[in-house]
Amino acid sequence: MSFSSILYLFKEGFRNIYNNRMMSLASVVVLISCLIITGSAALISVNVNSIIASLGDDDQITVYLKPELSDLNSIKLGPELSAIKNVESYKYRSRDDVLKDYKKALGDDIYEAMQGKGNPFGNEYKLKLRDLSEYDETVAAIQRLDGVDTVSDRSDVAGKLTKLNYFVTVVGLWVVLVLAVVTLFIISNTIKITMYSRRFEISIMKSVGATNTFIRIPFIIEATVIGLVSGIIASAVIISLYEPVRSAAAGVIGMINSSTLSAEQIWLPTLLTMSLIGIAIGLLGGIISMIRYLNKEGGAILGK
Amino acid sequence: MIHLENVSKVYPNGTEALKNITLDISKGEFVFIVGPSGAGKSTFLKLLIREEKASFGKISVNGRDLMTIRKGRIPYLRRTMGIVFQDFRLIDKMNVFDNVAFAMRAIGEPEKAVRKRVAAVLKIVGLEGTENRRPRELSGGEQQRVSLARALVNKPEILIADEPTGNIDPELSFEIMKMLVAINRRGTTVIVVTHEHELVRTFGGRVIRIAEGELDSDHFIATRYNPEKSSPEQAGDEDQTTEPSPSSDDTDPSSEAANIADIDLSEESTAGSDGGQPEAAEPNEATAEDIDEDIEIKDGDGQ
Repeated sequence: MSFSSILYLFKEGFRNIYNNRMMSLASVVVLISCLIITGSAALISVNVNSIIASLGDDDQITVYLKPELSDLNSIKLGPELSAIKNVESYKYRSRDDVLKDYKKALGDDIYEAMQGKGNPFGNEYKLKLRDLSEYDETVAAIQRLDGVDTVSDRSDVAGKLTKLNYFVTVVGLWVVLVLAVVTLFIISNTIKITMYSRRFEISIMKSVGATNTFIRIPFIIEATVIGLVSGIIASAVIISLYEPVRSAAAGVIGMINSSTLSAEQIWLPTLLTMSLIGIAIGLLGGIISMIRYLNKEGGAILGK
Repeated sequence: MIHLENVSKVYPNGTEALKNITLDISKGEFVFIVGPSGAGKSTFLKLLIREEKASFGKISVNGRDLMTIRKGRIPYLRRTMGIVFQDFRLIDKMNVFDNVAFAMRAIGEPEKAVRKRVAAVLKIVGLEGTENRRPRELSGGEQQRVSLARALVNKPEILIADEPTGNIDPELSFEIMKMLVAINRRGTTVIVVTHEHELVRTFGGRVIRIAEGELDSDHFIATRYNPEKSSPEQAGDEDQTTEPSPSSDDTDPSSEAANIADIDLSEESTAGSDGGQPEAAEPNEATAEDIDEDIEIKDGDGQ
């Protein structure tokens, strides 16, 4: 294909958008809405996972042993804890180490008085879990061991984060699927209307021997441009709103600022992914309508 | 060039549009296809351009078997043809130049060739200087000449004109027909579907009549048209009542038509090898009066 033909096809593609600007605008608006919801759901999911991962970096569970449990028996509990399936690693802390944590708060005199037999604390273990979603089962298994007094309870945070992630993933997926179908419908109708409005030109093109591919290219360009423009606008909206929303959320939950991704980290992947999704949806919608149209009513030339 | 053997076309709704048609059209022939409305003329054309596939029989055009041709090859078959429509089918958003160029651009011709050949073909049809005008600014005759230019610009071997004079005044019809004859003299096979018996009587040639889907007759009648004379009155039929072209036409198509055979279409000549009489099939001889009866056109049925 010659360069002038390529230029001509691009010109035709943009002419389609201009001539059919109201439907093109409707497609862009719907696609932007779909992409903003999709992108937001994806970013929430990514950030929740990031928070969960950062939680995993800390010792997630503290196992308090009974104060009367001897140091020897306390140490013997280590391998038993390690044998529990979801326990990735453990760290032993003696009752003296625990008391030291409170030295400042207690003051030197009280701290000295609590040394030795006066130490009310028991020995403890800090555990790291493999899968936070199995938090409850793991805690129950730990509590069945002899010598365990209590287990620190961070199940609320873990549970909420797991549920949030599940919600964002599942609900987001459904919303995206429904919107994707709606968008496909709108875009395929836009292209169908464009093709219908140009049926006259298409019949002339067919009569002079234009191939279906040649006829389709301007419409493919139209659908691609609609998808690309929607992708770029949607990512611009998301990127510009990301930092304010993140700061606002950090005001409620402090750890969000340190555990979530910054705008600098997300802008490029967001822009690229959104643009690609926009193009893909645009193309798919365009191709569906074109194949149907050119094989049926768009095949007529003499038309009588 | 065109060969049909026992061709029938039955549409999915059961309508038998063509029945057992057998005919040959040779390279360089000028053929009228006549017959009443609903006779099967349009279906005949649709089979030739492979808009429809024949239900039975054998059909080949320009050496291509239309019964077995792959879908992807149909556009290339159509590139060997030019089609002139009754309703001109010009794109009003485009000027004259772009309307004609559209046919070349649609098959991916380079812009340099487009510019060169469109200018040449507009000269052939006598529309030089109208390049920047919109179709709506032109008279019916001029519009049909733009349509003709578009059909010619890809240098077709066969020119199919589907009621080319159906939407224009009788006097302009005569001019369009003269152009078609001149194009035929360049070696292009011309097939004209028409209802207008006066034109058939004047220009003569091979006349194929289709009635109720069947090949009713296939005659050759002598022409009354003398290309050396440029007006209908001078064309050999003293009874003609047509008037000269209206003044709305910027150029005189009569003289342009007379000169078509002398003009090169493009950078490379597409004229027939000898430009003389075609190597016609062997239709029966008939008189103009016979054909008048054959065409069976009632007054007012100008569709």
